[in-house]
Amino acid sequence: MKTGSRKVVDDSDEEEDAAPVKPSTAKAKPKSQPKPEETKDEPTTSSDYFASTKKRGRPAKAPEPPKPDNSQEDTASAKSKKAAEEPAKSKKSTSRASAKKDTKVIEDETLGDNDIFASEYGKVGKGDDEYVAGGDSDDGSDFEVFEVKPAAAKPKRGPAKKSSRSDEDEDVVMEDLPKISAPKALPGRKRKSEALIDEDEDEDFEAPKKQTKKAAAKPKSTASPAAKKPKASPTKGKKEDKVESKEIQDIFDSIPTIDAPEPPQGEAKKWKFGQQQSRDPEMAGTKELPTGEENCLAGLSFVFTGVLESLGRDEGSQLVKKYGGKVVGAPSSKTSYVVLGGDAGPKKLETIAKHKLKTINEDGLFELIKRLPANGGDGKAAEKYAEKQRADEEKVRAMAAEIDAEEKRKAAAAKPAKTSQAPKSASTAQQTPSSSQPVSSGDLWTTKYAPTSTSMICGNKAPVEKLQNWLRNWHRNAKLDFKKGGADGSGTYRAVIMHGGPGIGKTTAAHLVAKLEGYDIVETNASDTRSKKLVETSTLGVLDTTSLQGYFAAEGKQIEGEKKKLVLIMDEVDGMSAGDRGGVGAVAAIVKKTKIPIILICNERRLPKMKPFDNITFEIPFRRPTADQIRARLSTICFREGLKIPPPVLDGLIEGTNADIRQVINMLSTARLDQQGLNYEQGKDMSKAWEKHIILKPWDIVSKILSAQMFAPSSTTTLNDKIALYFNDHEFSYLMLQENYLKTKPTLAGRHQGKEQKLKALELMDNAASGISDGDLVDRMIHGTQQQWSLMPVHAVFSFVRPASFQYGNFSERAGFTSWLGNNSKQGKMSRYVKEIQGHMRLRTTGNRDEIRQQYLPLLQEKIIRRLMDEGKESVESVIDLMDEYYLTREDFDAMVELGLGPMNESKIKIETQTKATFTRLYNSRSHPMPFIKASNVVAPKKGAKEKPDLEDAIEESDEEEVVDEVKDDEEELDLKKDKYVSLPKKKKAPAKGKKAKKAEDDDEEKPKKGRGKAKAKA
Amino acid sequence: MALLVDKLRPRTLDALSYHPELSDRLRSLAQSGDFPHLLVYGPSGAGKKTRIIATLKELYGPGVEKIKIDARVFQTTSNRKLEFNIVSSVYHMEITPADVGNYDRVVVQELLKEVAQTQQVDMGAKQRFKVVVINEADHLTRDAQAALRRTMEKYSPNLRLILLANSTSNIIAPIRSRCLLVRVAAPTETDICSALSLAGKKEGWTESEVLNQRIAKESGRNLRRALLMFESIYAQNEKVTDKTPIPPPDWEALVTLTADEILAERSPARLLQVRARLYDLLTHCIPPTTILKTLTFKLVARVDDALKSDVIKWSAFYEHRIKLGSKVIFHLEAFVAKFMRIYEGYLMGMDF
Repeated sequence: MKTGSRKVVDDSDEEEDAAPVKPSTAKAKPKSQPKPEETKDEPTTSSDYFASTKKRGRPAKAPEPPKPDNSQEDTASAKSKKAAEEPAKSKKSTSRASAKKDTKVIEDETLGDNDIFASEYGKVGKGDDEYVAGGDSDDGSDFEVFEVKPAAAKPKRGPAKKSSRSDEDEDVVMEDLPKISAPKALPGRKRKSEALIDEDEDEDFEAPKKQTKKAAAKPKSTASPAAKKPKASPTKGKKEDKVESKEIQDIFDSIPTIDAPEPPQGEAKKWKFGQQQSRDPEMAGTKELPTGEENCLAGLSFVFTGVLESLGRDEGSQLVKKYGGKVVGAPSSKTSYVVLGGDAGPKKLETIAKHKLKTINEDGLFELIKRLPANGGDGKAAEKYAEKQRADEEKVRAMAAEIDAEEKRKAAAAKPAKTSQAPKSASTAQQTPSSSQPVSSGDLWTTKYAPTSTSMICGNKAPVEKLQNWLRNWHRNAKLDFKKGGADGSGTYRAVIMHGGPGIGKTTAAHLVAKLEGYDIVETNASDTRSKKLVETSTLGVLDTTSLQGYFAAEGKQIEGEKKKLVLIMDEVDGMSAGDRGGVGAVAAIVKKTKIPIILICNERRLPKMKPFDNITFEIPFRRPTADQIRARLSTICFREGLKIPPPVLDGLIEGTNADIRQVINMLSTARLDQQGLNYEQGKDMSKAWEKHIILKPWDIVSKILSAQMFAPSSTTTLNDKIALYFNDHEFSYLMLQENYLKTKPTLAGRHQGKEQKLKALELMDNAASGISDGDLVDRMIHGTQQQWSLMPVHAVFSFVRPASFQYGNFSERAGFTSWLGNNSKQGKMSRYVKEIQGHMRLRTTGNRDEIRQQYLPLLQEKIIRRLMDEGKESVESVIDLMDEYYLTREDFDAMVELGLGPMNESKIKIETQTKATFTRLYNSRSHPMPFIKASNVVAPKKGAKEKPDLEDAIEESDEEEVVDEVKDDEEELDLKKDKYVSLPKKKKAPAKGKKAKKAEDDDEEKPKKGRGKAKAKA
Repeated sequence: MALLVDKLRPRTLDALSYHPELSDRLRSLAQSGDFPHLLVYGPSGAGKKTRIIATLKELYGPGVEKIKIDARVFQTTSNRKLEFNIVSSVYHMEITPADVGNYDRVVVQELLKEVAQTQQVDMGAKQRFKVVVINEADHLTRDAQAALRRTMEKYSPNLRLILLANSTSNIIAPIRSRCLLVRVAAPTETDICSALSLAGKKEGWTESEVLNQRIAKESGRNLRRALLMFESIYAQNEKVTDKTPIPPPDWEALVTLTADEILAERSPARLLQVRARLYDLLTHCIPPTTILKTLTFKLVARVDDALKSDVIKWSAFYEHRIKLGSKVIFHLEAFVAKFMRIYEGYLMGMDF
């Protein structure tokens, strides 16, 4: 709650400086003054209410009401008296207003956070009527006030304190305030000074502006108060005792609200999947989007519900975000507006009714955007927003200062180093000139602004702490032989594995922590080859050693004794790819026995190849930091580099890059090259241009193209976008579509009812199917003999986009993978079977393959398979006879079983195991006729012996023959093995020598094959 | 014991039971000593091959019946090895180049040249030329057919070709002009009936004239099919009467089932189921055109007359596409989708 309380303090600070401004506004619109006062009534009463409740909490404050009166008189009478008194008076009045504002703050955000302010409510409530009078007198004293101010303004805090002292009795708060702020760190003080110049601050962050401000303030009050009005308004709001400034209130009041329909009573309907037909607006794009002042919705939060007239959900939230508003998913008491469309969710309506939220339609939203002034004007929400901004700015400035200090320190360190002509490191040397102001050094911004302490790491605080703990205790754990787990269980691990998406600071954190813990770093990453061998040899030298840096240092440098500890950081462990065979295993083996801590870093921990690291490494998952965690840091960088980027734009960038800090910084660095700032549109364009291009998986492709949004009237995807979708994976996308296009509930058919709907669905289905059929003709032109690859986009449209354009809608079941591939290969296998069977039957039959399959097979199934099923083992003998008649083999029998369809489907074939066994035994024991002559001599295999040089022949003639023979034998053996008609006898005499072995083989072959006229071995 | 259809196959031209005038012509050709190249065409099951084998026997004597299968390996230009089966006797050789798909040209070139360049060495042989029978000639690619042209003329002293085809439409004109075209018409139903009764008598089965007629009709004038059906009826039934049902082949049973499913419900979900059935048929080597044809006739028989022409039209349309395209399932599915739509529209009496 630190920030919260700080913010509140901030408010009170503003009051002090607000005083000078207030009169100007009051003067600026004296005519309109009465009006706001009337409208004010309501808020006052509400705050009254709060005040009274608070009062009860602190009765001590209750008897104060008369005091404001006094002060009022004081100021009225002693206009030209002491300068110090002037602020006091103004403060008083402002304090009331501020109190009101604070009430709001408390009410909205930090209820009951600060008693001090609560105590003031009493005053506010009571002082209301006085205020009106006071306000008048103020009006009168405007000029004097300003004249006196310069003097008062110099001792910034001085007057405030003094006044509080003088008014002690009346205002306890004032006493408290300094006390709170005093012990605060420097930033707080600084802030206070800035608060004084609050108006200028918006444009300029430079602190030494006090003087100019005063100068500016004067002309403002006299000459052009109206110009400054919007900016000053946040403070003015208090004056008016209204939460909203009159103008803003006017706008707010004039926004046509609509009545939220009653939430449906009774039992809530069950949400059905198909029911959500379309969340797309009826008349999408019919209305022109309004253009408003920059950031005009600042601080307001919106909830969209139901279907709007012309605005899509996405467009709506884009619009609101663009103007600085916040879009929330579900309404709550904090919601400023609910943008209501038709068919709103009952739950949301209930909440609206409960909190009495303001509901508007989209016209109301447009009106708001058109009419609200920049930065939300002086609306209370805008004020709040502005304060938050300011707080953020403070932080940014503090951080910038920190970096400055850091750089100065470095520069200072580098200077002596330079003189001794041994620069500590290249980076520091480079940064030396940038000590005073950021000068573009050669470093990347990512290096330049790399965190230098753990507190500077965005997000992931706990993981970093874990890492630090583990590293700090590593050597102690090592002494304990990693037996004790320690508090977080990390003590038993010799290595950690950090994993998380890219650009979230894993490597940075590892290096930083290692540095802070005084380790010398040895790093390997994907740029090093890391195969098993290399990992083993290269790390060997590292694992048992200590760093030289602990003993030696470059000339003129201190020896850093603690640097002898080494840590091995292995980055991008999951990047070990095909070239790094066995690398992961080797690393895992090293991890098990390492003598130095090892930090492994990867993106994907869940990959199967990362399995070896299970249980031997301590897991430290890194998560994507939230926008809030990054924003401050990024703002700091922008500030230091002189880039002006409003927070909504930064948020947009963060969102667009998926919280990849590195990428955002790189983007900023790029933007800085030619721009001073970015607006929302530019930011959006930029993050779109930098969008990481991801190749979609087939499933994603098909679910995207068939999604209801793809072809909806409000869809912004062009035909080219859809074609591009096809090209994500042009081999699969259309197959996936064909597989899944029937699994949707077509949106186009949703408009019809009953029979018509059914017919419409069939029509769409038919159109899609014929589209796919058309696509196949194009496919043939691409993959046929012509290879007209330029037709690819045509194929995309015919086979992919067009069918989807009919069938798009919500999936009624999960998208499946295309079955075409499996069926195609199955078909290939089966047709090989048929070919085989036909080849065997060929001596007996005259039919071609198709005839065999369609005419012979049914009868053969009947006569072979069915008989085995029905008649059992008695039939085995005659079945085998029939098979032999057609030269069918055992494999052909299995193939026939597999080729059965419908009533003869493989799954329906149940042959008793006994029959089967008999069949197998009998078949194996019998000899079968062979139709085959294997003419292996067509492609005469080259005989190595023949090509042998003559020289050898001459020398060892006797050997030569044997060699030739043996070669022959080998070939034969190979052939036999390949030949499935030959069952090789298990025991085989070792091919002893030439002719003898050959003869033996001939005999072997002759035996199993009766019908074989010419033994093939004769070759 | 082989199946009837093969056991009772006529071996000589004299034994052929129908188309006597064709048999006479073939005999006189064989005896003339000037045997031309033949292109024999006709529907499946008409007896083309049987007739050719009988003619070969007339040419060479019983030696042609001693046949064996040779497996030979060819190497394509891209160094792919093709295994190719050749049925051959001493006098003739029977090849099916369509077996090797697009590489048939290689086979035709190499094999025919090899055969053509070797002269008959057996002086006792009746003829000086060898005969090469090319099965499924209408499935030869254009390249292979072009390769045949020159071979047919150049090596005519040593080689005669007999091309077998279902129709001549796919055979290029130069080849047609080099051959004597012999058309073997499908047997009439009476021819089939007499063949069946002859077979029944030889087997000693009880005869049923009506059943024979039914088979003849059912077979679509395909004698092979008729004989196989005939045998399967007798294999499945102890006693055969006129009313004995003819068991449909497994795949046809599945197509019938599919047709029933289509007619019973028309919806995308049903189309998904039908797709699974179609895939089943395709993977089990039923040619897509056969599927489409059978399915169409099953459907047409069950829809109103007004729809019939439409159904036939779309069936023809998608059959053409099957030939044009590469992924047949797409077209089969499109046909079914189209049918569902027009059938549903008709049932509801509205055109959408």
